[in-house]
Amino acid sequence: MIYDNELLNEEDKAKGIFFEFAEVLKKAGVNLSIVEIMDMMHALPLISIAEKEIFKQTLATTLIKDYTDIPIFNQCFEEFFLKKKGNDSLLEVYASHTNAEDFLFSHEEKSLLESLIDDFLDSHPQSFFKKSNEYLTKIFIDEIQASESGGAIGLSLFNRRSRFASGGADESVQQELSPQIYEAIMGMLRRRMFERNMGSAIKQREEYLLNKYIYQLKPDEIKEMRELIKRFGQKMKNRISLRKKRVKHGTIDIKRTLRRNLQYGGVPFKIFHRDRKVDRPQLVVLCDISSSVNQYSRFMLLLTYTLQSLFAKVRSFAFISNLVEITDLFREMDPERALNSIFNDTNFTYGWGSNYGNSFNQFIQNYSDALTSKTTVLILGDARNNNQDPGLDSFIKIKERSRNIYWLNPDRKHLWDWSDSIASLYIPHCTEMREVKNFLDLSHFIDTLFIQKR
Amino acid sequence: MFSSIEDTIQQLEKQKYICSKEIATTVYLALKMQKPILVEGPAGVGKTDLGKCIAQALGYELIRLQCYEGLDEAKALYEWEYAKQLLYTQILKDKLSKILEDQVTLKDAVNKLSTEEDVFFSEKFLVARPILKAITNKTHSVLLIDEIDKSDSEFEAFLLEVLSDFQVTIPEIGTITANKKPFVLLTSNNAREMSDALKRRCLHLYIDYPTKELEEQIVKLKVPECGNYLIKEIINTIHEIRKLPLKKDPSISETLDWAKALALLGCEVLNRDIAIDTLNFILKYEKDIELVKKNINTIIVH
Repeated sequence: MIYDNELLNEEDKAKGIFFEFAEVLKKAGVNLSIVEIMDMMHALPLISIAEKEIFKQTLATTLIKDYTDIPIFNQCFEEFFLKKKGNDSLLEVYASHTNAEDFLFSHEEKSLLESLIDDFLDSHPQSFFKKSNEYLTKIFIDEIQASESGGAIGLSLFNRRSRFASGGADESVQQELSPQIYEAIMGMLRRRMFERNMGSAIKQREEYLLNKYIYQLKPDEIKEMRELIKRFGQKMKNRISLRKKRVKHGTIDIKRTLRRNLQYGGVPFKIFHRDRKVDRPQLVVLCDISSSVNQYSRFMLLLTYTLQSLFAKVRSFAFISNLVEITDLFREMDPERALNSIFNDTNFTYGWGSNYGNSFNQFIQNYSDALTSKTTVLILGDARNNNQDPGLDSFIKIKERSRNIYWLNPDRKHLWDWSDSIASLYIPHCTEMREVKNFLDLSHFIDTLFIQKR
Repeated sequence: MFSSIEDTIQQLEKQKYICSKEIATTVYLALKMQKPILVEGPAGVGKTDLGKCIAQALGYELIRLQCYEGLDEAKALYEWEYAKQLLYTQILKDKLSKILEDQVTLKDAVNKLSTEEDVFFSEKFLVARPILKAITNKTHSVLLIDEIDKSDSEFEAFLLEVLSDFQVTIPEIGTITANKKPFVLLTSNNAREMSDALKRRCLHLYIDYPTKELEEQIVKLKVPECGNYLIKEIINTIHEIRKLPLKKDPSISETLDWAKALALLGCEVLNRDIAIDTLNFILKYEKDIELVKKNINTIIVH
């Protein structure tokens, strides 16, 4: 790759390019305000643009305020400013075409062309756009000529006298699209494609993953989600700690006020408040990891892991037909390793299918010390008991010894009770059974859990 | 003031701080643009050291504010010295009654007294905490706000005025503006995200673990007693170890400790036995040590 700095020499042109670059970043989901862009403009005259590392860092340090955005920035920077073998950098496309576009097309024509390009990009599958730019431009022009809405502009483009043609007075209609117009359209098309790829690709992917139905997640998507969940988990933690702060001021702490005001001769200059006790939720998580839905159980364990890292007092258990405590495992290892070691653990009679009854019985027998009047029990599972004893007695005992018991069911509501699911058997004994089919649902649930606890 | 980015690198190197071009660029720009820097990155990459070394290199005074949960205005900005105020009113009792002598009604007395109020709420009775100190300092200073992520989010709000306008507003006195604008450096370990308002006022610098070349330079500078060949081996090993899924990656300071230890032991080459015996210098968790031991054959050649 060659660093492409000749194009940055002309100052005015360059300024426009930096705005374009900021625009590309914005579309990629980077949060940019006018302050960042102004900072960039102030910083640029202070450095030498010719040195790539310095130039790049100047843009990064002024524009990017969230380190999780750095990979996105790097990607955009490479595409935008660096020349790839055999291909112009986007910078060149921007530099040579934006001027030409403004010169060649009226404002209306330009916006019409842009919307046509959008339609064009929407109407073809992603793989289609791997073809060469020339080919794509040709197809695009053919298409707008054929279509009704595009016909008008197509005609007007074809009929236009080239303003660059030498014989300006020549009235004859050109048969071919003038090369300038063709070039300009190609530039617009490429730019739009780039902006779309950069911008929406990253953001759409996240939303897609967060909203995807748990059962349908693929193994590599789960891997991808780990980072995402980590970030979301952090955000959730921030929200929770914010709520904690808001309940900080309680009644006057007389003991502390008197003691601290002794230095003023007992005159209460400063009043001290008692911190209102914040109810830290004590969670017990029981997670069904039966083999029938391996992907889903991996995801559920990931959620359990997230929960444990979010709250201080969490005990996690996993079960198929037997129940095992995994709190320590999660505390010691990163999720991927912990997950693998759970699935390699022979303690689980792997492949037998879940036995909720047996697991509840075991929980009551071995771990009932985990339950206090402050405990909230979360059960993650589909309640498919493989026609075995539901262990209702133990389940009721769990309910009696805890404050709340929530059942987070990944099945859609109308599928509860379907086949060997015995959800409705448990529902009367739960505080609530909820449909939690993707990560966003879980995040909502945790939010409400916290509001209720106050 | 550093004259260029090159100069920044050189001046900091004199303080035994090796920095990459990226770091130097941000520092240079921040000084020129008079903007604070928010430094983020994993623990032990020299975020705090950066602040200290900039102060030394520029000959500025270093004013450090360590953040913690519950840090408030009174500890960071300023505080009224109640005890002193009380003491003075006691001592000046006679003087006060003399002033109030000719006032007939209580109301007049209060009015008269309030004209004198300024005396008691003046800078004489103000305890300057680090931020106010940095603002009122006669000479240039570097204000290092360490581990800002440990403080409460309310505290960030106090900082905003300082960071954008370099001034502090004290209701009883008014606004105090900086004589010499301090150079502000905030560090964060990402325990929580900073507010957008704070980020907007700062340049952002993310310091990651250094490249092999840079880390080699750092070790050479700080542990010169270590042979060049050994340093190379240490750095290669450390970089291999950082690729493993550890609970805590070895940081630069741990690399330095290890290099010092190996130099003291008189090693010339790093072999597996010695490395295994000294792993506790760079790894702080039993599980991590076990993991490295398991993979030792791929990490160290000898």
